[in-house]
Amino acid sequence: MKDDISLSCRDLERFLGEEEERVHALRGVSLNVEAGSLHAVVGPSGCGKSTLLYILGLLDVPDAGSVEIGSTLIAGLSDEELARRRNQLIGFIFQFHFLMEDFTAQENVMIPMRRLGQLNDEAMSSRAADLLKAVGLGDKIRRQSRHLSGGEQQRVAIARALANDPQVILADEPTGNLDTNNSQRAFELLSNIVRARDKALLLVTHNRFIADACDWVHEMKDGRIVTSHPHGQRILVS
Amino acid sequence: MTAPLYIALRFATHRKRALLLSLVGVIFGVGIFICTQAQTQGFAQFFINSTIGSNGALVLKSRFQPRYEELVVPTKNVSALPARRNYFEGIHNVSEIMRVSRQFSNVVACSPVLRGNVSARSGFETTTVELFGIDPASHLRTTDLAKQIIDGKFDDFTNNTTAVILGYRLADQLEVGCGDSIQLLSPGGEYWRFIVGAIARSGVGAIDATRVYAHTRVAQRLLKKSYQASMIIYKLRDPDRAPALAAHFETLFQHTSQSWQEREESTLQLFIMLRLSVAITVSLMILLAGFGIFNVLTMSVLSKVREIAILRSMGYRQVDISAIFLWQGVLIATVGSLIGCFLGALLTWIVSKVPIHIRGLLYTNHFLVVWDWRHYFWATVLAGIAVFIASYVPAKRAALLQPVDTLRGSSF
Repeated sequence: MKDDISLSCRDLERFLGEEEERVHALRGVSLNVEAGSLHAVVGPSGCGKSTLLYILGLLDVPDAGSVEIGSTLIAGLSDEELARRRNQLIGFIFQFHFLMEDFTAQENVMIPMRRLGQLNDEAMSSRAADLLKAVGLGDKIRRQSRHLSGGEQQRVAIARALANDPQVILADEPTGNLDTNNSQRAFELLSNIVRARDKALLLVTHNRFIADACDWVHEMKDGRIVTSHPHGQRILVS
Repeated sequence: MTAPLYIALRFATHRKRALLLSLVGVIFGVGIFICTQAQTQGFAQFFINSTIGSNGALVLKSRFQPRYEELVVPTKNVSALPARRNYFEGIHNVSEIMRVSRQFSNVVACSPVLRGNVSARSGFETTTVELFGIDPASHLRTTDLAKQIIDGKFDDFTNNTTAVILGYRLADQLEVGCGDSIQLLSPGGEYWRFIVGAIARSGVGAIDATRVYAHTRVAQRLLKKSYQASMIIYKLRDPDRAPALAAHFETLFQHTSQSWQEREESTLQLFIMLRLSVAITVSLMILLAGFGIFNVLTMSVLSKVREIAILRSMGYRQVDISAIFLWQGVLIATVGSLIGCFLGALLTWIVSKVPIHIRGLLYTNHFLVVWDWRHYFWATVLAGIAVFIASYVPAKRAALLQPVDTLRGSSF
């Protein structure tokens, strides 16, 4: 394990719903994700995996506890500040790729870059094309995303997550909607990129094979991380 | 191009049918607003130009006796109602008043008129007419009478003191033309014979049906008046400032003074009411177009919930999401107003060519229109406001959507 921690959280608590329907979704979750490492979060549906992911992705705010990205403590920030950090530091990949259907693959990858506003159109196009080549879609950059296959769309989503060169990539069941072959290919691609570019990857998955291929596996149950073990080991968290 | 604008353009062009529907509403709203305003104001402007061209922008009439109310000590038993003015018929110091009047920068020209009602007779036809005793030279500078001549020549009237100019409807009624004679009955009971030197058409029905112009001195003798003028009419550089000048003249000369706005108040109110009524009707159309846009954008927000969530996850702020939908509104308002303005101009031009036979309050053979940039400006502003209101609510709604709710809903 490297000491270079990209993403960490301490004692996260989160309640969802109101009154009688109130659910204690996260109960004191703590986690460290290092640069260049792959972390998988596994567990049954409703155990709080996605809630954890959204809080770490700054899309949701915890009721207690803290999140740190790099050396920056994320607490009490405005919508504008949270959005800026999401744009610069985090790349999301979802189960249902969530591409803009009428945009081409290249335009989809350019969306986060447009928000960042650091590159001109030409530079953005060039970078998007490079990222799409890296995920094996160099010949389909101008194809509308709805005309791509499921596996190709997920690869566009991976390229898009890397658009602003974020420190952290968060993936919510990135292979959940793909067949076995495509799942394997997408995960291999993702893991290669994460290791080659020294990113931190935290993915939520139900796929045991993918979880086992990660550096760390965190098992969640009833809002807690019950076990946290490195590749090939199993350690019970007290 | 900003990111929200870029995405807004892509979203808008994606839903082409909905965009077209929204655009059509704005285009027709703006176009019809412009066209109807051009028409209603066209008739009003024609009436105003005609009445000012015939009767002047300001008229100075009878002298009155000042009441000096401020000097009177109030007593308990005296009624609080102010005493009525005492009026004295005619203007006696015409030259002096005209000399002083010309010093005012707003006064272009002024002309004395001796006015009286007499009976006119031609053959078996008899009618009551309004006799205007005028000085041709100064009257020419003050009014549009020369331009209003439709038969004969103004010079034929100027060079012949026994000649008169008749309104065209009066000429029709008396069945006379240029060169024919008519008789005017003096207050003493004797008929005076005049030659019809010219026939004029002011465009205002009431003037054309009763007006007879004669030379001042002849009119003075015919009407048996001791004074040269019963009123002085003024041509002003800025007729809109006539009420202020009228009030000033009244104080200065101690003569009743009336602006064209006061004189034509009832007719002008009719035009204003008509214009307002049409404006409200057309504004409702634009409002309906606004509802259409509201529906289209609301549907767009509902269909883009997933995209909004993903944009938020990629770092787009709430204001960026709002801006995406507001930009769509701006796009619809801009393109709609632009095309609407062209449509408005085209409709106005087409309407101005439509033949129409009006011989009442006004005289016209075609629809009267006014080409005024303010109609285009206000139509655009109105469309902009309607579209902004219609876009604001969906935009706000889109901004407040919680991405987590959408993403969580999609994940499980």
